[in-house]
Amino acid sequence: MEGSDEALMLNYREGGAAAFEELYRRHKAALFRFVLRSVRERALAEELYQEIWMRVIEARSRYEPQAKFTTWLFTIAHHRLVDHWRKKGLQLAALDDAIDPPGAPDLEPHPILEGKQGLERFLRALEALPPAQREAFLLHEEAGMNVAEIARATGANEEAAKSRLRYALSKLKEALAE
Amino acid sequence: MTDPLHDDAVSRRYRELPPEEPPRALDEAILAASQRAAQARPAPLVAPTGRRRWYVPLAAAAVIVLAAGLGLHLQLERPEVEDVTPPSPTVLAAPPPQEARPKVAEAKPPPQKQSAEPAPAAPAPPERSAESRPMSAPKPQAMEAPAPAAGARADDASRESARQSRDRAEQSVASSAMAKRSMAIEETPEKALERIAELRKAGKDDEADRALAEFRKRYPDFRISDEMKAKIERR
Repeated sequence: MEGSDEALMLNYREGGAAAFEELYRRHKAALFRFVLRSVRERALAEELYQEIWMRVIEARSRYEPQAKFTTWLFTIAHHRLVDHWRKKGLQLAALDDAIDPPGAPDLEPHPILEGKQGLERFLRALEALPPAQREAFLLHEEAGMNVAEIARATGANEEAAKSRLRYALSKLKEALAE
Repeated sequence: MTDPLHDDAVSRRYRELPPEEPPRALDEAILAASQRAAQARPAPLVAPTGRRRWYVPLAAAAVIVLAAGLGLHLQLERPEVEDVTPPSPTVLAAPPPQEARPKVAEAKPPPQKQSAEPAPAAPAPPERSAESRPMSAPKPQAMEAPAPAAGARADDASRESARQSRDRAEQSVASSAMAKRSMAIEETPEKALERIAELRKAGKDDEADRALAEFRKRYPDFRISDEMKAKIERR
């Protein structure tokens, strides 16, 4: 099915089930990686990922294409992750500074990355980022968002979003240089 | 224009990470949920639909109640409006305007004329003109239409049947108005003259004189026909 994300979502809002399938096909991998690399636990990531799509389905009647569909989708994902962090006892203000959310699983070597030390190190560096910085980087890479869009999706001001993204890139570059 | 917050090396390395995807079962569960929601399309519209379902009969009931209330109000108000219209006794005492009389006479010939003059071919022109004027006045009609008791009954009936049809109510209103008018009139000049003539005929001359004096006092401008004069004046 052809058409922009926004047109597909409007189509789905009017009852077009096929439109949703196409939207899902387009965005499922990026959203899943965004969630998985935010929480680092597969079972939890799958649970959160399903809940995010359920929220999309439930919110279809309220959807208005005032922003890009991806911004809307990842805003929903952000809110779900914030809920998750809150349940974990992490305040929003701490997301910029926290290195490892409480209860995060011990990092095991990634089976596929075993032997690929550079990638393993990069993944460790990504997972070690404070949640807010990691989220900014993942939104930039997975959703293709610029600073303004990251700010909108996360409810932050642009300066904060810019700062988070800059810090994340800086730390990841260090991991590359090692 | 290059994005200062984009690093190709970092981005390239990130893309080298394993391509993670959700399990197929999760895909199927989400797509199935989306299809169920699409089939049950009114789902998010359930509340508005429900409101609409309540709204229509509620609005209809409100309109019916308002219309019934207004109709009842109008029906109950009309007799009071009619109460204002009946002329006062002083107005009744004065002869109606000349131009108004012929219209009433044309619209409905007074029944008294036939009863008072069983032989219509006999009367002379002056008598007819003299008779026709008082006879054409609307008062005798009012007298002969409904009796006060019947009028009162009709008045009560009109109030009790306020919820019934409008036509019936209007008839009641009209009859009640007529009754009120007739009650307001004690005796027409013609009747008074007939009563005096009967007194005279019965030999009650003193009583007839008093009644005639009272009549002249009460209706100083009333023109009495020669025929009637012969009946009521002392010989």
